[in-house]
Amino acid sequence: MSHVKFKSSISRGSPSQSETDFTFLKRTVATWITLTSLAGSLSVNAAELSVMVVGRDGRGVDEVVVTAISTAVNIGSSPTLRPAVMDQKNLAFLPRVLVVATGTSVEFPNSDSVSHQVYSFSEAKYFHLPLYKGQVHPPVTFDRPGLVVLGCNIHDAMVGYIYVTDAPYFGTTEAGGSLHLKGLPPGDYRVTIWSPFIADAPESLIRTVHVDGNEPATTRVQLTLALRPLPEPKPHRHDWEY
Amino acid sequence: MRWLDQTLLWSVVLWASAAGAQDRLNVSGDVDLRWVHATGDPSYLNGGLGKLRFDPEHEGIRFGRAFLAPNWRVTDIVAVRAVVDAYGDHDRNPVDLSEFYVDVRPFPTTAVRWRARIGAFFMPVSLENRGIGWTDVYSITPSAVNTWLGEELRTIGAEIEARWLGASSGYLGDLAVVAAAYGWNDPAGALIAQRGFAMTDRPSTLFGGLGRPPTRFYYEIDRRPGYYYGLNWRHHDRLEVRALRYDNHGDPGAATAAGGGAWRTRFSSLGARLEPSAHWTFIAQYLGGDTAVGADSSGDNQLYLNFHAAFALASFDWARERLTARYDDFHTHQLSGLFGPPSNDTGHGWTFAWSHECGDHWQFVTEWLRVTSRFPPRIALGEAAEQVESQVQLAARYRFELGW
Repeated sequence: MSHVKFKSSISRGSPSQSETDFTFLKRTVATWITLTSLAGSLSVNAAELSVMVVGRDGRGVDEVVVTAISTAVNIGSSPTLRPAVMDQKNLAFLPRVLVVATGTSVEFPNSDSVSHQVYSFSEAKYFHLPLYKGQVHPPVTFDRPGLVVLGCNIHDAMVGYIYVTDAPYFGTTEAGGSLHLKGLPPGDYRVTIWSPFIADAPESLIRTVHVDGNEPATTRVQLTLALRPLPEPKPHRHDWEY
Repeated sequence: MRWLDQTLLWSVVLWASAAGAQDRLNVSGDVDLRWVHATGDPSYLNGGLGKLRFDPEHEGIRFGRAFLAPNWRVTDIVAVRAVVDAYGDHDRNPVDLSEFYVDVRPFPTTAVRWRARIGAFFMPVSLENRGIGWTDVYSITPSAVNTWLGEELRTIGAEIEARWLGASSGYLGDLAVVAAAYGWNDPAGALIAQRGFAMTDRPSTLFGGLGRPPTRFYYEIDRRPGYYYGLNWRHHDRLEVRALRYDNHGDPGAATAAGGGAWRTRFSSLGARLEPSAHWTFIAQYLGGDTAVGADSSGDNQLYLNFHAAFALASFDWARERLTARYDDFHTHQLSGLFGPPSNDTGHGWTFAWSHECGDHWQFVTEWLRVTSRFPPRIALGEAAEQVESQVQLAARYRFELGW
């Protein structure tokens, strides 16, 4: 992006016909120096970290929670708390795995035509939302870090996960198995990954990555064990539990 | 009828108080019309010893079934469910209850979730009959095993289930133990002893009867409660295993003034349903047990019979279509109480079904079923012991759901 901005700045800095060639050269050089140093300082302050999670079969793994926390003390800002949404569609939680910062409020709309009763008895958050459709309950605030396993008391096959983290940088991998974290100050970061479907021991998946700001840092996490089978609940709309 | 007025009044008050809440009352319904072509013996439903629901005297356009299934969530953890059925045959009541129970399911506070059912309901054993109203979702006619379970057995009592929810421990599945105590099921065993197995989609209703004259199944004779206990294991949404041990604890010596005896019926059932991919389903189930009636427990006067049956089913579904094939095998063996040809029933059946969903409301099912069996008591009716019966059915089902 900074490259594109630089080009347009040059174009805006073009001389008028009355200016001498020398003045034009001075201005151009000055602009060049200013913009180059500005771009450099920006990249130092906001580096990028790319994480790629690859399964034993060589394919990228999606829905994996990635968190990055600086190994140095007091580096890294607290994330801005944005409300998050855990929807319910086709008798499943959507997304299946959600990662939020500690203190985040999460909405639980129900987009299905049938009612749900959402609950969690996890240590990190104990709550339940009585029978509902649409969006009738106020958001639930997740104020303790940890894993919150969600269920529906009517549909036992519905399982969802909210990973509540104190880490300032986090996200979940996309369809190809990658995640790009932006705005990290330079330094060393402890990168952890977690998914309910990863069978590898979590400790074996921790990486320490150096982010220096000159170019995006990358790390690749290769899983050694096969993924646990993904749940495939069949939404039998006309079922009762017999 | 003051009690009736009071009940209705309270129902209206409770209904009104629940009206502001979400989705408190749902009523599912289904109307099923058939075109049938059948060959073979007269059906036992029409007084014969045939194993199918329809026969050459009862084919053409037939009424399959109509039901209403209200599900009323009285509170967040208490629901009342009922299935009101009409089968359009010679049953005592044209409209009758098949199930009526209270389902209590508190929110889990630990990894073990409790559930209780009180009333009259189907025991958790069939892996085919998962649809509302205990309908078979894979074909029109359930297996011989589940036909019999629907005909003679209903839990009228209380059941409790403790289910370990594995997700909180990182396991995608759960494991439940279930146990029940019940009464009013002492006649269970009479039909399998006198007729053998059958393959029909005609379960009994709570106050009605099957056959001609109608045999009723749900009343108490010996004042001894029965019990069952079982396991239910669900693994990764792909595998479900059900095991159940049933004993109605009947006293074979007990009898009503009219001479109806209590049958002591016991069986074990083990079944599994595997859904290895989004399209395939495989089900297998085995049931084996025995039944006895008559006071003379050591002599020839007591009728004693054992039975076992099994089936294997494969089903493939895609988009709005489903194809199912099933093979059934069944046997009964009478060991004592012989007053004629023994009730030794041996047979097998093939079922092929194709169902098509049309929109949200219509379902069309085509089913071909053929049963080959040998049952010596047929000789007393002037028929050959060995019979091959077949039945083709085209069903048009209209389903609806109303919610308040």
